[in-house]
Amino acid sequence: MGTQEHLQRRRFLRLVTGVPVLGAALSFLSPLLRLLKPNDRPFEVFYNPTRRDIPLGEVTVAASLREVARPWDFKYFVFTQKYPQYTPTGLRQASVPAVVLRLPQKIRLPWDWAGQIGKPQLVGRESDIIIFSRICPHLGCIFNFVPNWQEVTAGYGGYVPPPPRRHALIACPCHLSIFDPADPQQPGRVLSGPAPRPPRTFLYEIRGEQIVATDVEPGGIA
Amino acid sequence: MAIADWIRERKAHLDLFDETKTQYQYNPLYLLGPMLYYFYLLTVVSGVILMLWYEPTTSGAYDSIVRISREIGRVTVGGVVVPLGSLVRGIHKYAADAVFLCFILRIYRMYFAGEYKRPGELSWMLFFLGLVLTMISGVTGYLLIWNQRSFWAAKTILTVPVYLDELTAWIPRVGEQLKFGSMIAYIFLGGSAIGQATITRFYAIHFGISIVLLLLIEVYVYRTRRARLKMSWFPMLLLFLMVLFVAWALPAEMGRRADPNRTPLPILSDWYFLALYQYVKYTPPLWAGLGPGLLIGVGMLVPFLDRSKSRHPLDRPLFLVLGLLALAYFLGFTALIMWNIAQIEREPPIVLLATVLIMGGGFLWHLRRRWQEARAVAAPPPAAVRTRQEERA
Ligand code: FES
Repeated sequence: MGTQEHLQRRRFLRLVTGVPVLGAALSFLSPLLRLLKPNDRPFEVFYNPTRRDIPLGEVTVAASLREVARPWDFKYFVFTQKYPQYTPTGLRQASVPAVVLRLPQKIRLPWDWAGQIGKPQLVGRESDIIIFSRICPHLGCIFNFVPNWQEVTAGYGGYVPPPPRRHALIACPCHLSIFDPADPQQPGRVLSGPAPRPPRTFLYEIRGEQIVATDVEPGGIA
Repeated sequence: MAIADWIRERKAHLDLFDETKTQYQYNPLYLLGPMLYYFYLLTVVSGVILMLWYEPTTSGAYDSIVRISREIGRVTVGGVVVPLGSLVRGIHKYAADAVFLCFILRIYRMYFAGEYKRPGELSWMLFFLGLVLTMISGVTGYLLIWNQRSFWAAKTILTVPVYLDELTAWIPRVGEQLKFGSMIAYIFLGGSAIGQATITRFYAIHFGISIVLLLLIEVYVYRTRRARLKMSWFPMLLLFLMVLFVAWALPAEMGRRADPNRTPLPILSDWYFLALYQYVKYTPPLWAGLGPGLLIGVGMLVPFLDRSKSRHPLDRPLFLVLGLLALAYFLGFTALIMWNIAQIEREPPIVLLATVLIMGGGFLWHLRRRWQEARAVAAPPPAAVRTRQEERA
């Protein structure tokens, strides 16, 4: 009977010392994770690991209207994003290559995400100018705008577009995803390959003669 | 404790460098263990020499490797220019390739010869783990060159974990916040894109894995007093000269400097990842991560899945078929991506159908074999129907 009591007491003591040890270990873990993943506040890393990763975009002139005057004219440009991070400047830059494109007809821009970043007035806009991020929504390679569709068939996995889609296409060299930038229902629709969704788009404004990119659809890795 | 007993028994029979397979001494297939260790040492030593000149920065990495290959250690011996730096780099690369080759061959030998059966389970699992770690070391080392190929290989591989977020995304409210797939990617990248932090981390991981493995092996060898290099000096010299010759004849290539704004076409990776690249073309992105993960998981568990008694491959047809299928896909996918003749419209259904048919066939064959065995046990065995294992004994 005496040993029984002893055992119970010992178990209790073990529990009592265990709690602070566990607490200490946990409080060590959080800064450690923060060290590994620099753009997080101390404890947030446990319940919301990527919240502070939303970058700030830098408003950029994408092209002048004259540069993309005719249908299928396009121009590449680079958009800069800044991520809050524990660097000497407190920020880190990443660039998002992008392409401005003049379509042959007006379509409804895929800007349904504009509401999420506080610009609901832009939802439902129509235009024949569209800006895509060139970061492939599959695994993040930079895709190409291919003016001649036959090049897609020759160099990007043998995809032969059906007759209505025989125009300029978007093609990714990495795993051969092919997109149709001018699909009227869903611009950038995936035609072939493993990409799960169309490329991300930019919000833009026309300021005088210039097309100015302001925001890029969030998500994905730069 | 059952588990402790299990581990104790397997530990006593661990056979990491073919030390206990004395009856096969003259079969080169059973020299793979010591060869593996030898090439590993060559890689580590040449790697440490490379560290003297390598500069792990986004701006300096490529140039420092160009310098290693072209300028450093150029000595003239009797009129012949010997590019020592380039040779060391070549030895590092080709010895590492040889480590992979030994690993793969050895794993296949263990698989087809049934060496993973009791008491070899732990040996098999350690070997499998070793292969996975070596692959991680391979990817991380690969980025350090900072050329186009390595940059895009690293970028695509590190985007794969992001899709693991889909696994939790269906949980209402919490799921959207719980982005642990993205977090894995961010931890390796050191941020949201490949940059200076990524190169520093990859450098550390690349170096860390090899040194930690080496330490563990040394501790193991020291405590068990086993052999590591059961080779005489002659094959060692021969193997070294072979690596040296390849490094001389085929200097490790440099490629173009990484350009984060342009993806090259076609994009290739190191040879042991090519098949995986082709696989990624065929599957939805979540499966690009889950597929190889499952393969590793099943591979680790093979000793527990294969319950047959005999070690002869024909006595366990399903596992024979699976092994051959894996080999065929590895070679087939590699060939497809190298010649860039993929037809990603047409091939995935064919591949899937072939897999299902072949695996189904293997399964039926397996069942039939089991049934035959059961019948042979039920009837007292006449001399002609002995199992193969008895024949060998
Ligand atoms: S990254 Fe573009 S298809 Fe895979």
